[in-house]
Amino acid sequence: MSDTLSDDASGGDDGQEDVMTPAELIGKLEEAWLNEKFSPELLENKSEMGECVMEQLTHMEANLQRVRRGDVKASVHRMEIDRIRFVLSSYLRSRLQKIEKFFPHVLEKEKSRVEGDPSFLSPEEFAFAKEYLANTETYLKAVALKHMPPNLQTVDMLKAVPEPCLDSFVFLRVRERQENILVEPETDDQREYVVDLDVDSQHLMRYRAIAPLVSSGAVQLI
Amino acid sequence: MDPSEVEFLAEKEVVKIIPNFSLDKIYLIGGDLGPFNPGLPVDVPVWLALNLKQRQKCRIVPPEWMDVEKLEEIRELERKEDTFTPVPSPYYMELTKLLLNHASDNIPKADEIRTLVKDIWDTRIAKLRLSADSFISQQEAHAKLDNLTLMEINTTRSFLLDTLNCMYKLRSNLQPGASGGKAQDHH
Repeated sequence: MSDTLSDDASGGDDGQEDVMTPAELIGKLEEAWLNEKFSPELLENKSEMGECVMEQLTHMEANLQRVRRGDVKASVHRMEIDRIRFVLSSYLRSRLQKIEKFFPHVLEKEKSRVEGDPSFLSPEEFAFAKEYLANTETYLKAVALKHMPPNLQTVDMLKAVPEPCLDSFVFLRVRERQENILVEPETDDQREYVVDLDVDSQHLMRYRAIAPLVSSGAVQLI
Repeated sequence: MDPSEVEFLAEKEVVKIIPNFSLDKIYLIGGDLGPFNPGLPVDVPVWLALNLKQRQKCRIVPPEWMDVEKLEEIRELERKEDTFTPVPSPYYMELTKLLLNHASDNIPKADEIRTLVKDIWDTRIAKLRLSADSFISQQEAHAKLDNLTLMEINTTRSFLLDTLNCMYKLRSNLQPGASGGKAQDHH
């Protein structure tokens, strides 16, 4: 088998500054996977990254089509593809689970988004969330609401579905040093205090305190 | 997180193998591997090493720390100190299990190593339970967890985090005016 790929990670966009090697791309995918798995709320969508990974996979699979069966190298490539595919699907699946769990809030956030700001949902996820909302409403109407007295026939989904709990505790590892992170007291007789987060140190604290650092990549949830 | 997913991450760690076949470089998406020459040690990720081993295509060289003397030292230190001591590998437990289950014939004194690593693990988990207990009884809002491995965190994750969330819920209902009546997800 010939050199399958080595330099086409950026998907052909030239003139871009953030050219990533395929290995770095996979690293990013794994980071996003763990962050999404452990954060209580839905994080920013990384559909560009997902597309790049898919591109790598289809490209590699296309190359493997040309290889005869039983080739040792091809089997190694297939194993790698399976591993990457597993991470990618697990990542997308955990996003979908959160969308199903918090759909009214996810859609509300999307609605209040300022024009030009990046969306939290990929176009496919947005369509999924809208459809999920419509289906849930239809279902509730069909099984219960239409049998109710007229003044009780509406349900406010935003109130009916719990919000993500940003006060959940999370485990994290620090990538870039942070100073003066405010730790809110647990009880009334405690005082708030600040901590510094050193590179590579690990912590257990409330998600709310470090949420912006997760999206900036300064900390990694573990 | 499922323990098998932590193991999945551990399988990315690099280990030395001595192949008994020859093969040119492999250009994987995650980086290049090889070339492979019979008898010459080469670095590969654990997932590949185990696959090759199962197909009897290589011998695995155990990592440097997977050694009775070194592990005995670590065990003694771990027992002496009250805090978590640095571990030889962030995936020491998973790697021990994977390598001993699939390549024990390549690892000298495999049984002793298994026992030692289990001892280290038990000591650390006991410490972890103690610190989780004091974290909760002191009602702390922040803890530093250096030297804890992902697998160790994972064994306590769901129990500890659920507990903390439940306690938070109970407490915020006690405090007047604090998010009262507002629906929030607590898993």
